[in-house]
Amino acid sequence: MEFFLQQCVNALQWGSFYALIALGYTLVYGVLRLINFAHGDVFMVGAYLAFFIATGFLAPEGAFGFSRELTLWLTIPLTMILTSLVGVTLERVAYRPLMRKGAHRLYVVITALMCGLILENGNLALLGASRRALPELLDKTVYQIGGVAVTNLKLWVIVAAVLVFCALHLIVTRTRMGMAMRAVSWDRFALPLMGIPLERVIVFTFVLGSAIAGLGGLLFAMSYPALDPYMGAMTGWKAFIAAVVGGIGEIRGAFVGGFLLAFVEIMVAAFLPSTFRDLFAFSTLLFILWLRPTGLFGRPLTSKI
Amino acid sequence: MLQVSNLKAAYGKIEALHGISFQVNRGEIVTLIGANGAGKSTTLKALMRLRPPESPVVTGGDITVDGVSLLDMAAHRVVADIGMTLAPEGRRIFGNLTVMENLQLASWSRREQDTDKAIRHIFDLFPRLAERARQRSDTLSGGEQQMLAIGRALMTQCAILLLDEPSMGLAPLIMYDMFRTLKKLNAEAGLTLIIVEQNAHLALQVADRGYVLDTGQIVAEGPAQELLHRPEIKAAYLGG
Repeated sequence: MEFFLQQCVNALQWGSFYALIALGYTLVYGVLRLINFAHGDVFMVGAYLAFFIATGFLAPEGAFGFSRELTLWLTIPLTMILTSLVGVTLERVAYRPLMRKGAHRLYVVITALMCGLILENGNLALLGASRRALPELLDKTVYQIGGVAVTNLKLWVIVAAVLVFCALHLIVTRTRMGMAMRAVSWDRFALPLMGIPLERVIVFTFVLGSAIAGLGGLLFAMSYPALDPYMGAMTGWKAFIAAVVGGIGEIRGAFVGGFLLAFVEIMVAAFLPSTFRDLFAFSTLLFILWLRPTGLFGRPLTSKI
Repeated sequence: MLQVSNLKAAYGKIEALHGISFQVNRGEIVTLIGANGAGKSTTLKALMRLRPPESPVVTGGDITVDGVSLLDMAAHRVVADIGMTLAPEGRRIFGNLTVMENLQLASWSRREQDTDKAIRHIFDLFPRLAERARQRSDTLSGGEQQMLAIGRALMTQCAILLLDEPSMGLAPLIMYDMFRTLKKLNAEAGLTLIIVEQNAHLALQVADRGYVLDTGQIVAEGPAQELLHRPEIKAAYLGG
């Protein structure tokens, strides 16, 4: 029983990463009807940015030499801001020109795939294949709750994912920008007729999605200090599938889908040979999609991709 | 005020407007009538500076409002700066938003910030919307959706309102009611209206002046009452 609870905590932490990435997929899809396949790699870029910011601030002989605590508090917003700039740049340089020319969405999706590969291989070329480790920014404390060991970092990861979800929910349902995002997802033709600049709404969406991925990257780097250029590829794919299973375009769906996938993965790895993990995880997701092709929270739409 | 001169517009390589010219004065109701594919909706979309693929590319001529050319303007600027908007064909309301949210969203570029007052005004014009304020707007009936589409357009504080097929799919009673409201807005608030209609008879009854489009060209124009009684127009567009 204790072992099971321990695995649940692990699944919650692992699911938080999936959820944080899946939210970005679902936001961009909701607004642009575009599957931004570069998003997993934006997450990777976020982790690397966190690495460089943190090591830069910490270096005792460097210009800053900040304390670990101060470094952490500065790294969080800086990583989010810089990662969102990367996301916005992708939109500006790669997607917007295509959309302006009225290209079919399929071409934009292929472009997104290519952008992801460019980010991966650009990173490989610039920084080499060696793995990097984020310096420890947080003193590790282990809480024992009824025989289950929970580190403070794990708690922070889970809390961060829940807070991000709540904040996002508030933005989308309560603010005028969120209203505009929902409106675009329904009918982008009519939005400019309300005097609303469509491109500003799109940029805002990319800022939100990429900033969340950046935060995910930072937390991931803190939890698993082994950064490599391809770290975003598989995690990104899985998060995308999690978003689809939850019902892509639905914020709740991305959140629930992320945790669901992590739960299956962790439990299979815990109770069965770990080589079964992905087979079981994807079979489960396939089964859910077979039951509900639009995902857990999705509504059928006339056109996808 | 609004001056369209020798406007040419195309979808890809296919030219849909072959150089049309017309003008609309402040406070006027002008209608564009014509058969399917004559270029009526195309004209409105071109005026609003909407983007392809749904909308045409202007390939020649000019559109000016009070001497300012709209050609290099984005659609949202036409709404915000010129004060002109479109209630599009098929209404295109945001079905996943409530009636209230649809109206609030349309106040995005209002200079005057009193949104609540503006919404009350819309509810006075269309009391049915007030009853449905908290409802998701895709649950509204066709007539209510058209009221919302017009209400939403008015929320932008427009001085010129373009209406594309406002009567489509409406029961006659609701249709007359809507046109009465539009006429009232024109008379009391000085709202300029440009109405595109299949129902040419109805449109000419409401309008001050009319233009007849045929395959991308203006083939007749004049005061609405006069057009109503011209034999060739009667034969072609008014059903004898």
